[in-house]
Amino acid sequence: MRSWYRNLDLPALCAWIGLCSCGLVAIYSSTHGEAQEFLLNTVQDSFQRQILWLIISSVALAIVLTIPLEWLVRFSPLVYAITIGLLIAALIFGREVSGARSWVYLGPLSIQSSELAKVGAILMASYLFTLRFRNNPVVFGTLIAATLLLPASLIILQNDLGTALVFFGMLPILWLCTGVPLRVVGLVILFPITGYLAVISWQIAVGFTIAVGVIALFGTRSYKWMTAGVMACALTIGTATFALNYVLQPHQVARIVSFSNPEADEFRAGVGFHLVQSKAALGSGGLWGHGFQQGSQTQGRYIPEQSTDFVFSVVGEEWGFVGSVVVLLLFATLMLRLIRLVKFIDHPFGICLIFGAVGIFMIHVCVNLGMVLGLLPVIGIPLPFLSYGGSALLTNTLILGLALSVYMRRAEFSLYV
Amino acid sequence: MSKTRYILLNCSVIASILILLLQLFRLQVVEQQDHSQIADGNALRNIRVVPARGSIYDRNGTVLVHNVPKYTVTLTPTHFDESNIRHLAQLLEIPDSVVARKLEEASHFNPYKPSPAFSNVSFEQYSRISEDAYLLPGVGTEINHRRHYPTDARSSHALGYTGEISPDELLTIRSESDSLLYRQGDYLGKTGVERSYEPWLRGVPGIARRWVNIYGLEVMTYAQGQADQKPREYYDLHLALDAQVQALAESLFVNKRGAAIALNPNDGSIIALVSKPDYALELFDDGIQNDTWLELINHTDKPLYNRATMNLMPPGSTWKPFMALFALSEGLLGDHGHETTIYCPGYHPAGRGRYFRCTNVHGSVNVVDAIRLSCNTFFFEIARRMNISAFHEYANKFGFGVKSPFDLREQTSGLIPDSAYFSSSPSYVRQSLLMNLGIGQGDMGVTPLQLARYTTVLANGGTLYPPHLVSHFVNRETGESFRPPNLPPPVEVKVDTMYMELVRQGMKLVMESGTGVMSQIPGIPSAGKTGTSQAPGDFTDHSVFIMFAPYDNPQIALAVHCENTGDGSHCAAPIASLLAEQYLKGEIPASWQKNIRMDRAMSAISESLITENDL
Repeated sequence: MRSWYRNLDLPALCAWIGLCSCGLVAIYSSTHGEAQEFLLNTVQDSFQRQILWLIISSVALAIVLTIPLEWLVRFSPLVYAITIGLLIAALIFGREVSGARSWVYLGPLSIQSSELAKVGAILMASYLFTLRFRNNPVVFGTLIAATLLLPASLIILQNDLGTALVFFGMLPILWLCTGVPLRVVGLVILFPITGYLAVISWQIAVGFTIAVGVIALFGTRSYKWMTAGVMACALTIGTATFALNYVLQPHQVARIVSFSNPEADEFRAGVGFHLVQSKAALGSGGLWGHGFQQGSQTQGRYIPEQSTDFVFSVVGEEWGFVGSVVVLLLFATLMLRLIRLVKFIDHPFGICLIFGAVGIFMIHVCVNLGMVLGLLPVIGIPLPFLSYGGSALLTNTLILGLALSVYMRRAEFSLYV
Repeated sequence: MSKTRYILLNCSVIASILILLLQLFRLQVVEQQDHSQIADGNALRNIRVVPARGSIYDRNGTVLVHNVPKYTVTLTPTHFDESNIRHLAQLLEIPDSVVARKLEEASHFNPYKPSPAFSNVSFEQYSRISEDAYLLPGVGTEINHRRHYPTDARSSHALGYTGEISPDELLTIRSESDSLLYRQGDYLGKTGVERSYEPWLRGVPGIARRWVNIYGLEVMTYAQGQADQKPREYYDLHLALDAQVQALAESLFVNKRGAAIALNPNDGSIIALVSKPDYALELFDDGIQNDTWLELINHTDKPLYNRATMNLMPPGSTWKPFMALFALSEGLLGDHGHETTIYCPGYHPAGRGRYFRCTNVHGSVNVVDAIRLSCNTFFFEIARRMNISAFHEYANKFGFGVKSPFDLREQTSGLIPDSAYFSSSPSYVRQSLLMNLGIGQGDMGVTPLQLARYTTVLANGGTLYPPHLVSHFVNRETGESFRPPNLPPPVEVKVDTMYMELVRQGMKLVMESGTGVMSQIPGIPSAGKTGTSQAPGDFTDHSVFIMFAPYDNPQIALAVHCENTGDGSHCAAPIASLLAEQYLKGEIPASWQKNIRMDRAMSAISESLITENDL
């Protein structure tokens, strides 16, 4: 009976432990330093609650690892249905926290339904991939899109655009793993990239469009795809420009464009404040950082949301470039290790699940760190395993657990395909 | 699962991690300086540590001025949330509009720095705001000090008041020294020793470097306090003033206008300095109310005016000892001046049919009798014979007509005419003006301080000391004691000892059998001279008196000036005598002499300057 955990992937598990520890240190520093007496009671408890949630997550991880694969595959649609149900329940009965109506009570715990929906969506996509029509990209791609769009639209109704964006981001990644033609995936990715460039500067965006046309022409040797690529880019630029100038309210525009120049007078006091402070904290850390509980910005509470979305600025200020690189390398280890595991699995459910897990982590890391480092607009999504927040920790741990589980139990797959 | 897709996912992960790494490197290594500056600007505060203002003690170590805590609430407009105006107003128990106005003022001053918006809040309000500080970002608290005056002696004009620094003063100071010394809202000495010893009382503020949080509250020390600078050079002042003599003097001046000043004839230190009416220094310790200030500056009796050092009046007969010394030294009475007599028929025939009246028919008087009897004729004659330039020069030697080297800035030089002063008058007018100078009337003005100083010369036989309030100051860090630095050495007034002795004898006789006979100190021989100084207009004359005691070994020299109370023996003399007795004996034992002097001093009342025309 020793065999079931023999194949557990230790490097990924170690990365998970390392990331959770970094998160705990950062949360402890920002809530138990000299600044403690100035914090609200609810924030002062953050560290203890995070410990509690870590224990809950570890138990959940252990449970997930013991579930036989057959059950996983079979109950995936049920899990998806339950998470969708929770989303709807939150919309109707839920509690509103900072504008988003996404919280439901499960006994003594309050859980963010939009986080758990990520688990459901990945499981459902993986389940679909095991079905017969997986060889028909059109049908399959559409089904995947529908799987993601249903929770995403519910989450938009909950008024949590940031989390909904994660589901949109999952689309190209799941398509990538499930046989949808690469040029289609590429076409989809063109929209966010062009949009991002268009926000920074329309000249760059136009240049990018020309480059896309040239590459598409030589890559596909098809005028049709070249036209599609250029049209996609042009459409995005047009939409972005039109929206920024005529549709969106000034404060929405400011929120989107301020990251490129947060120090400007018109942003500094408002939406740019987060970014200026976050960059100042990170940058002042230098190579080695100020040391545990010695960061002036952290201890002085100059960074908003410093134990949740901006937790990385605490790491950067107190542990410096070295500490930040350690965290980045832990994330890299986790993701690259998971991708490596894919090689050993030949079952579509496992492949899709691990791709989904890597996708979730990558989107969160890129968007969150992009925001903290001033590369992206402020989008409020947490940094996996580090940010304070029980639902996110549980969700991310569950996703990791599922990925580790399918690798560990890969021998069981052949029976069910 | 094709290999391409596997590699694509791998590459996108590596690419994104690399982009993030590069940006991290840029922020934390390349641009570290810039971001550190922003971070320090956010959180590092140079907090000025102003030492508590020095205390002031009297000659016996009694506290005249010290500090008590004063609580101030500060506002930092950039961090202040306007929705908290109501909350803050409730804590301070003031209308919302006042908070809004203070916020606006603070924004004009500097929106990024805490500015003192509400000073002198009660301890309860201070505690409430401190408790709620975490709900009120941008609201801070400070503990400062305000002046407190625990003794009966008000000493208003000697100590002086403190007040908030004015924009002009701030500009002047900033242009001369570093900007840390004073800031808007700071208090500094405006008059008295508070003003003249401002640098010593204030000290040099230190700097404490602190990390503050977003609410402006200190959270950590910077570099373990290594970069802090301690405040330094702060001193306590010790005055020569005797609080008991001072308090007695102030109480004796009830219902009077005037001044009294008592000096130690052996070093020039000031034992008492009274100018009445005075004012309570407490009015100023938290910024004076505007209506109170207007009341003070517009009052007919000018309570803010330091009469002891600024009020000019003719000295009356207290001038006669000076004239006697002048006449003897200049040989105006001939070679054997001390024996020369002048006949007094009750008037001085000045010629051209004019007569200058004396108080009585004195017959032939010598210089001693002339002082004892205060014979006007004798001194009219001296003045008739004198050279105005020599007179001017001799008066300057005794400190008249010039400013004293003194530790209060409030001082006037007085008026002693010289040859140029009368040059436009016809010669016969000039002569009568000159003769008036002989009895200390007419076109001359001296201050009580100058009179007292001249009395010290008579007391000690010829040394003119610089008068000073501060005897020493003590460095509060090291305990070292220093003499006032700007005190020049004493000046010898060259007077023949025999002449000086004659004048002193005359003044002693004044106390024993002359106009001062009712103001003797029981058991202590003294010397004095009464004076009656003509008041302008139809008002009652001023009462003037100079005195020193004990006669053989003078320890105190006084000049007392009571405005519009009549002749010198009735008001000024008993006051001077009581002060001297208090100083020399430490108390005034009950005696019939005490009762007489008390009666005479207390019954004198300054005639009101408000006439029917004013009403």
